Amino acid sequence: MAIDRVIYSYVVNEEAYQDQDEIIAEGAKGNWAYLILEGKVKVKKKTAKGIVTIDTLKEGAIFGEMGLFAKGEAMRTASVVADGPVRVGLLDTHRIIKEYEALSPQMRALMRSVIKRLREATNKVTAMVVDLTSPNAADSNER
Amino acid sequence: MKKGIIGTLPPVNRLRYKKGDLIIKQGDYGISLYKIISGKVKVYLEDGDRQIPLAVLGPGEILGEVTFLKIGIEPRSASARVLEDAEVEIWHPALLAKEYEQMPTILKYVADQLIKRLVRTNKLMVSLTSQLPGKKEDQQAPEPRTSRRMYYRKKLNLPCYYRPVGAPEKVRLSGTIKNISLTGLGMMVSSRNAINFTHDPGAHFHINAMLEGNREINVTGKVVSLRKARAPGLLFLGISFVGLSEDSRKTLGFFMMP
Repeated sequence: MAIDRVIYSYVVNEEAYQDQDEIIAEGAKGNWAYLILEGKVKVKKKTAKGIVTIDTLKEGAIFGEMGLFAKGEAMRTASVVADGPVRVGLLDTHRIIKEYEALSPQMRALMRSVIKRLREATNKVTAMVVDLTSPNAADSNER
Repeated sequence: MKKGIIGTLPPVNRLRYKKGDLIIKQGDYGISLYKIISGKVKVYLEDGDRQIPLAVLGPGEILGEVTFLKIGIEPRSASARVLEDAEVEIWHPALLAKEYEQMPTILKYVADQLIKRLVRTNKLMVSLTSQLPGKKEDQQAPEPRTSRRMYYRKKLNLPCYYRPVGAPEKVRLSGTIKNISLTGLGMMVSSRNAINFTHDPGAHFHINAMLEGNREINVTGKVVSLRKARAPGLLFLGISFVGLSEDSRKTLGFFMMP
């Protein structure tokens, strides 16, 4: 997937990571977002039963964006880990936020709503994966 | 620009729903957005006979954003049913759609990715639910359809004439209105109509139809969705009103009464 020039124009810095490097740490503070320029990353969440991978993102995808439009300091809701060598672009947070703030209150509410919904869905899926991998569920759910 | 859009936002409509009412039905077409003023609404996925709860929304939260951000090209991805008597505000989808189109590319890109991930995560939830031992609340039989949506969207089979905004007055295309509400309509037309005039989302049409009792309505609407109808050679257009005269609004209002 070729990266759109306009999107690329928001990249202020490029960073390279090796396989298994943690690019974003769950629980850390931060609201900047990245664009994947090359390679893949895995999105992971900590649970009582260990770490669960909830998504894999590849070239062209943005991550870290859920904290972009939060009021105040955002807490990272998941970790993002390199899956093989990966090159990412740090996006111009200030410019994006400025443009976001110029939207109508309705449009902003809409964007925040999608982020909230995604966060809830991710939490549910994570909980389900934990249920599925617990010994009890495995017994009653042979495949 | 932004101020202009807000300035022209029409007075918002409010609707009251009773417990058990269906506000959005999965699989339907429509891009209205709702903001919950009071009460509680359950959002869930329908997967065959199963219901997979996604969220319970309360005051201040928004409903219908997924389909809206896909600009109505796909049917509603989830259903929404009232848990506690609710009052909702309906936002004008046409004007917000305009703002969306004019939004900086990066924000559209972010919104698009968020939606894709949300839809993907919801799908994953469906497949995980089928692997999990059943929980009662997740796998209840579908509730009887106590939908009150008919109050504001009426099904019908009404011949109509229409012409693209800007086309000469003598242009007269025909279609059939399949459903209508105070904010828009669904219309079936021959795909031949689209040969000479664009019917793509964004196209504007003047539409004229005669309701029962020789009451005429004249509306101007914008195509917000376009898909092939089940029958070959037919297109189904989702149209959102951008201009509705006071008379037509009244006529429609009466027509829409349950």
